[in-house]
Amino acid sequence: MNIRRARPEDMPGMQACNLQNLPENYVMKFYIYHSVSWPQLSFVAEDEKGRIVGYILAKIEDEPEDNDEVHGHVNSISVLRSHRRLGLAKKLMLLSQQAMVDVYDASYCALHVRKTNKAALGLYRDTLGFHVDKLEKGYYADGEDAYAMKLWLKS
Amino acid sequence: MPPAVQAKKPLPSKEQTLFKELLAQYEASQYKRALKTVDQILKKFPDHGESLAMKGLVVAHMGRKEEGLELVRKGIRMDLTSHIVWHVFGLMKKSERDYEEAVKSYLVALRYDKDNMNIMRDAANMQMQLRNYEGLVDLRLSLLRLRPNMRQNWVAAAIAYYFNGQLFDAKYVLEIYEGVLKNAPARDTETSELLLFHARILYELERYKPALEFLETHTQMRKIFDRTAVTELKTKIYEALGKQDDADECWRILIDINAESYDYYTGFLKNRAIDLGNLTDETKAAATRYFQDFSTQYPKATAPKRLALTYSSGDQFADLVKAYIQNGLERGIPSLFVDLKSLYSDPTKLAEISSFITSFHNSQNSSSSPEPATYIWTLYFLAQHHSHLGHHSEALSVLDTALQHTPTLPDLLTLRAKVLKRAGDPWGAWRSAEEARALDGQDRGLNWKSAKYAIRAQELEEGQKLLGLFTKKEAPSPAWDLEEMQSFAFLIEEGDAHFRAGRHGLALKRYKAIERIFGDFEDDQFDFHGYVNRKGTLNVYIDMINWEDRLRSHPIYIRAALQASRIYLSIYDRPKSKAGESAEDKKAKKKAKKAAADAKKAAPATDDKLPDNPTSPPKDDDPFGEKLISVNDPLEQAAKMLRPLERSATWSFEMWIGSFDVALRRRKYLQAQRALQYAKSLEPQNPELHVRILEYHLALLSLHQKGTNGSASPSPVADLLKSLLPEEVTPDVYNSTWLQSGSPSATRILAGARGASALGAPVEEVESILQGVWGEDVAINPQTALQVLDYLRSIQSSKVEEFRTRSQEKFPLSTIFKTPDEWKALKASIQNEEEKEEVEVY
Repeated sequence: MNIRRARPEDMPGMQACNLQNLPENYVMKFYIYHSVSWPQLSFVAEDEKGRIVGYILAKIEDEPEDNDEVHGHVNSISVLRSHRRLGLAKKLMLLSQQAMVDVYDASYCALHVRKTNKAALGLYRDTLGFHVDKLEKGYYADGEDAYAMKLWLKS
Repeated sequence: MPPAVQAKKPLPSKEQTLFKELLAQYEASQYKRALKTVDQILKKFPDHGESLAMKGLVVAHMGRKEEGLELVRKGIRMDLTSHIVWHVFGLMKKSERDYEEAVKSYLVALRYDKDNMNIMRDAANMQMQLRNYEGLVDLRLSLLRLRPNMRQNWVAAAIAYYFNGQLFDAKYVLEIYEGVLKNAPARDTETSELLLFHARILYELERYKPALEFLETHTQMRKIFDRTAVTELKTKIYEALGKQDDADECWRILIDINAESYDYYTGFLKNRAIDLGNLTDETKAAATRYFQDFSTQYPKATAPKRLALTYSSGDQFADLVKAYIQNGLERGIPSLFVDLKSLYSDPTKLAEISSFITSFHNSQNSSSSPEPATYIWTLYFLAQHHSHLGHHSEALSVLDTALQHTPTLPDLLTLRAKVLKRAGDPWGAWRSAEEARALDGQDRGLNWKSAKYAIRAQELEEGQKLLGLFTKKEAPSPAWDLEEMQSFAFLIEEGDAHFRAGRHGLALKRYKAIERIFGDFEDDQFDFHGYVNRKGTLNVYIDMINWEDRLRSHPIYIRAALQASRIYLSIYDRPKSKAGESAEDKKAKKKAKKAAADAKKAAPATDDKLPDNPTSPPKDDDPFGEKLISVNDPLEQAAKMLRPLERSATWSFEMWIGSFDVALRRRKYLQAQRALQYAKSLEPQNPELHVRILEYHLALLSLHQKGTNGSASPSPVADLLKSLLPEEVTPDVYNSTWLQSGSPSATRILAGARGASALGAPVEEVESILQGVWGEDVAINPQTALQVLDYLRSIQSSKVEEFRTRSQEKFPLSTIFKTPDEWKALKASIQNEEEKEEVEVY
């Protein structure tokens, strides 16, 4: 699969991939907002026909709350079931994290994961080195709790 | 006394205060209070133009658009020289997305309030939305003159110049601005983006050396951070300068940043005079060598390994592909087959893969204890391999073996669904996809597959139920939520299902929803015209604008517009009974009405629960698309759907065919001609084109006959036909030549039959042509056989039953050729069995 930085014209493909794959969905303007605000942080994986089979949509918290540092946040990452076990999620994640450091000097990368999503939790913790920072009660629209996870990007 | 003069008198101070309150209340969206306030003013001064206009604006926000617009118009008449009334009128037009009118009104407002920066900014954003770049430059420069100390005004002026093609002026603005920027914060991404934009302008001005120096200086000064963007631009500059070695180094840096980018490898090789799109034996070998080098250098990267397969051949390919497949199977990569599928277009590569997977499978079968995961993925690959080659029974038998081994792997069942779908059993396909879904209810991917197959099998209610497992519970229906979330996949699937079943109203509703969403996408960009000047991300903004400009060449849009135009044409073609409703439309309506009544009976209290709040969706006043299909001018509607495509989707064969169909009916012969010529240049051998050329010929012929009897001389039009149908060839000969040439396929034969029928051949002859689809080496599958069957039905052939039976024999796995009764019985027996199985489980 070809992996590259996401461009504005990729947003409909990312939206389609997200809708088939994840319960958290967003309207086009949300995607455009990310693309125009942090153009270096989102990536896509596409098949030979140019269909998007995986993506990462990320941003920077550039006005962090008190005592916090500038850091990256992964809004959404997913890979179609038919394209799993190719290591795409990991490659997408690493590219985004590298850009978070290079372009924004981010200290760490954060993300949320459903408490019951064991597969994703395993990927983030065991494969990508994230740790659970805290539990956020009722984070999702349907009331489910989320683990807030973190990965330090600078030693 | 003329009212305008009266209105010129300023309000007394009490009312002035009220007017200020009114503005504040409007800003805070407190419309009810604002209405009270403005009524207080108007009670004493009923002709006060600005108050009338403001009242109109407030009323419109409360949902009374017409009344609001009337009030605003009255306000303008009362006070023609007030900037407020014109601003308000502009706002009204803007909310209707009528930017053209809004901008005009804003410009009038600016005549009476020259330096109003709010109005200027908003007007500038609208000029951008309209791509009216000259007007944009004027406004941005005025703003810059008024507030040169504001950073965003400089950025905005530069980008305005850029879009207006004034690159030197853009550069000049940036230079001045960067001069005062020296004391910017140490690490500032916005500056970094701006400097990159500056470098891009230098590049586009072909000032390569300065561009390079600019990039290098600012990278060294640690002012530009985006290493990827810098390096990408540098490669372009080096290549323009002919500095191959420097470009080479840049491509290597890029590959080092991201070793999975196909673009980087393509670029790297192109710089070394290896054009992947046009390889010779020599460059092919060189390309493969490079891919192998990169594979060694980046052992974890897949791209160079996969690309090597595309560009190698012979023994080298054999070695590489074996290693690739074996590694993939041992690692259990589900997408291995889809990854390799494109290699199948090369017969020698296909043979190589085929022999390897067969022997690999055999070695596992003969092994006493094959690694279970590898074994399963081997079967999974093999089944896809068979299915791709059209060997459905083999595919199913492999899958049966796999499922006996591992019954809980959903991927096996979704593949089984796909095989059944191809074999012509849409309902069985859905049942299989549903089995897969049931294995992992949390997986939305499996859920979508099952829902999609349900919809394709015309089980629309089941489809909705499934989709509802993941849509918002508070939404009125799953479909409503999916439309809100802009799910094209859903809208297309349902639209197509309705279309196939003849429910044109409902189908058109879905296609129109897609059109509306594209309108929303277009409108989404509006807020970014101002935002980007603060954010500084100009490069991506330019990309966004370019994307928005070609938005309607998106395949989904083309598809929806074409389907919608087909519906309009079928309304036009249908003998005028009553409006555009077909029998199926009526049935659908009746059924849904009954369902709604039942639902009401079952849950009488639901209506009360819906709170009357502004977020609740407005009532759908055309739930079956009846209004949509009862248009008086279907032909004009069809033309309207396709018009934007004739500029943006010139590469689409289907689009030109659709365009021809509309033009012919509108008797626009030149347009029809042009459409066919485009279509011919794209796919000269497409059966759909063949039929159209004959239709066109007949249309011109009848025009000619009318012409000789009557007055008009059609000869210039007849001349045009020559480029499509040579003069010395009669249409009959043309059609029989078509049937005898090319590789034989059911679609080709069907087109020939349609052609013969159009040329006046008797039904028996048409039927005998169609018999040809059963020839030994004719390519046919269940779906194309069904098309032939449908065609036989449409010409009321006596051979329908015979053809149906024969299709059923030819495609034993299919269900689409069953009679309604056969199908009912079969479905009942399957459901019966499924229930029995469930009982056994518990």
